[in-house]
Amino acid sequence: MKKAPGDEPDEDLTVTPPKKWAAGVPAVAHALEYSLEETSARRTGTTLLTMNQVDGIDCPGCAWADPAPGHRHRNEYCENGAKHINDEATTRRIGADFFREHSVSDLAGRSDAWLNQQGRLTEPMVKRPGSDHYEPISWNDAIGLMVEELTSLDTPDEAVFYTSGRASNEAAFVLQLFARALGTNNLPDCSNLCHESSGYALHETLGTGKGTVSLHDLHHADLIFLVGQNPGSNHPRQLSALEEAKRNGARIIAVNPLPEAGLLRFKNPQKPRGVIGPGTQIADRFLRIRNGGDLALFQAVNRLLLEAEDARPGEVLDHGFIDADTTGFEEFARHVRGVEWDDVLAATGLTREEIEQVRDEVLRSERVVVCWAMGLTQHKHAVPTIREIVNFLLLRGNVGRAGTGACPVRGHSNVQGDRTMGIWEQMPDSFLDSLKEEFGFDPPRAHGYDSVNAIRAMREGKVKFFLGLAGNFVRATPDSTVTEEAVRRCRLTAHISTKLNRSHTVCGDTALILPALGRTERDVQATGEQFVTVENSMSEVHTSRGRLRPASSLLLSDIAILCRLARRTLGDKPDIAWDRFEADYGVIRDHIARIVPGFEDYNRRVARPGGIQLMNPVNEGVYSTGTGRALFTRNSAEAPRVPEGHLLLQTLRSHDQWNTVPYTSNDRYRGIHGSRRVVLVNPDDVRGLGLSDGQRVDLVSVWSDDVERRAEDFRVVPYPTARGCAAAYYPETNLLVPLDSVADHSNQPTFKSIVVRLEPARVGAAQA
Amino acid sequence: MHSIEQTIEIAVPVRTAYNQWTQFQHFPRFMTTVREVDQIKPSLTSWTLAAGPLRGTFQAEIVEQEPDSHLVWRSLDERPGHRGRVSFTSTPDGGTALTVRMEIGLNGPAGLVPGVSQVAGRVVAAELRHFKEYIEGLGQESGAWRGTIRGGRLRRVESERNVSGVPCWPHG
Repeated sequence: MKKAPGDEPDEDLTVTPPKKWAAGVPAVAHALEYSLEETSARRTGTTLLTMNQVDGIDCPGCAWADPAPGHRHRNEYCENGAKHINDEATTRRIGADFFREHSVSDLAGRSDAWLNQQGRLTEPMVKRPGSDHYEPISWNDAIGLMVEELTSLDTPDEAVFYTSGRASNEAAFVLQLFARALGTNNLPDCSNLCHESSGYALHETLGTGKGTVSLHDLHHADLIFLVGQNPGSNHPRQLSALEEAKRNGARIIAVNPLPEAGLLRFKNPQKPRGVIGPGTQIADRFLRIRNGGDLALFQAVNRLLLEAEDARPGEVLDHGFIDADTTGFEEFARHVRGVEWDDVLAATGLTREEIEQVRDEVLRSERVVVCWAMGLTQHKHAVPTIREIVNFLLLRGNVGRAGTGACPVRGHSNVQGDRTMGIWEQMPDSFLDSLKEEFGFDPPRAHGYDSVNAIRAMREGKVKFFLGLAGNFVRATPDSTVTEEAVRRCRLTAHISTKLNRSHTVCGDTALILPALGRTERDVQATGEQFVTVENSMSEVHTSRGRLRPASSLLLSDIAILCRLARRTLGDKPDIAWDRFEADYGVIRDHIARIVPGFEDYNRRVARPGGIQLMNPVNEGVYSTGTGRALFTRNSAEAPRVPEGHLLLQTLRSHDQWNTVPYTSNDRYRGIHGSRRVVLVNPDDVRGLGLSDGQRVDLVSVWSDDVERRAEDFRVVPYPTARGCAAAYYPETNLLVPLDSVADHSNQPTFKSIVVRLEPARVGAAQA
Repeated sequence: MHSIEQTIEIAVPVRTAYNQWTQFQHFPRFMTTVREVDQIKPSLTSWTLAAGPLRGTFQAEIVEQEPDSHLVWRSLDERPGHRGRVSFTSTPDGGTALTVRMEIGLNGPAGLVPGVSQVAGRVVAAELRHFKEYIEGLGQESGAWRGTIRGGRLRRVESERNVSGVPCWPHG
């Protein structure tokens, strides 16, 4: 293990050509190198060999599904998962001494990477009003402070409870139960930031907010679209499924503004051909689309399919399916036939020939899957875009059959399960009625705040209490300056965390750090060792059981913290057995079994190898849309107006990063080393804007308010992204995303669609 | 393509035989070559077969399924590809005639093995006998799935189209 860094590393940018393949031997080497820097060889072995195994630890890194029991590799993880889990299993520790040495304002000036690298939190800490230091506090007193604040609120709606995808089903269920028993639906979550648009669009058109595919569907698809996603860095285990699909003869079309290494070629380090051979080509076609051009692309493809049907009636569309199982086809068809090619070509940056080639691929394919991630969901017109993808799938009956379907690829391991457990500010009456029947209290019916609305409410002084169940709220959210000011208006902010992050340093008058057990650690309660359960992106619910000795004897589980807080805040009104929940998580699961549809007999079924496969209604011929049929929709959107001299910026993660946490300043697939303060711009735009390679610039975003949002001192890197577009790292550029720049319907921030101009850097000019 | 056709008469009514056939996960209990069956969704199953040292896994799509009548499948893997139909008809004495018609694509190494299609035919015949012994021994089916599949897609009657046994709220 290496010692934690004392100072911030020097920034020294070097740029090399982008890689044309992902994974391979370097991925194994980097994973082991990082793991051994963080912890010992023995702990590395324990975490890695139990990761994603039937009775082991579910990797908190992503929500990709595991192969069936009996078909998993001995090493069932990726580079990023290995880094992520050993980032948690680190043997570095921080306690009272660290916080004596570092004031809150000192910590607020540190980078995300530096904060993360200090090690695991080991004891509860409090920052009292007027103080600039965290100091130790007992658990009893820490919970007492929260109880005091919660019981003195004018209304329960002055409290906000945020959930991150690290939270287990059990913790999420307890949190929503507590919030509702207290009297509020203020339950924002990280889904509001990543796939809210997918959930909205899929629910509206197919009657389910979840993806409809299994790993087997991907393996046996004839054609797979990868749209707005970067599997090589953000869900590398997807590459194994894509490799299997290719082996079975699938074609793959990648649609993305950047030609990411993982979209091009995969060297599977588990196979000889991936170690010494050339690997597997992933994308047969790569469409370098402009940011947000995907709606226009799918509309154009849909129009071409309708025209192909005109030329060969009865041979292109699945009329049997359309007639029996859908509504709205005629209106959709009339609308999409009116889509103008000039508009399509301008929005996509593609040629008509490229789009016609997509049509030809589709016509040759009986089974089609479309996968997507945040490249689609974080635009103003994200919901119409995903609805149009559903139109595309419906046209040829590509839902509900083997090898077909919609596959929103989720990023954080239990983000889907947390929502299933009721973490949503707008839960339907059916769920709230079940809570009432089970627990004997009347849950509030008024909708609460999602993430964006929670920030707005904090800004207006309507929120006094904020509790974060894992996550890094101030860094995951947009408009950082506004958000940080808003959070600082709270009277008390508390975070249930494993490691230090910026949300601990940007806080309310009183702030609490509540150190919790991680996924890797043994969780022993009054009735013995516990496990938790999670749901992956393909609706499989299974157990996760930690193996390591906890980082400190003072750590509590998420569930224990929430149960103690609930018991002391609410007493016996309503009469809920919080003590029994903490002592035996099986008791929580018994309640879930009676409340959440599909979880009947939860404890017994989830203990089986592989757990529970939740039914997807679409695959059962059920469309809970109100009409009982899948819905064709008419979609339109106004492309973002990008004035002359401006670019459309997307924020993105580096390869060496997990959510808001960069591990290093390197992004080796994109050839960026030593600095994250870079903006990737098409070489023609670099020239066209009068910029030069390596020039220092400020990024200034353009929005309808008069607020100047400026990200200072970035270096221009010519990069093969689409013309008119740019890319820079998240969360450093979140401050450019206006809080009010959100997706229609889903209220999801538009992290992939920000109009910016590049100005010569003020800092650089001053130095010159 | 090699074709196989085998018929066996079973002394239980069609409904009983059909219902038992839909319980794919039970096949390893009485079939000697079937080690594991996983029903991924109504129209998609994963099969692990083993004979001596040979072991293989394939996924099969159920293309058509009509209760008490027939079931049509096709393998999704190409090595070797196969497809077929299982039909259930009543016999005059109230029993069931179960017929398996199957086509196996024997391109690749499997096709070079002499007599491979005859071997496959004998395996199918033996497994049908095992099925007969099992359901006749039970006298009653151990479960039933009564759905209808057309074109690889589960068909619902109108009244079932909005019924969902799973969380029906949007997932972000």
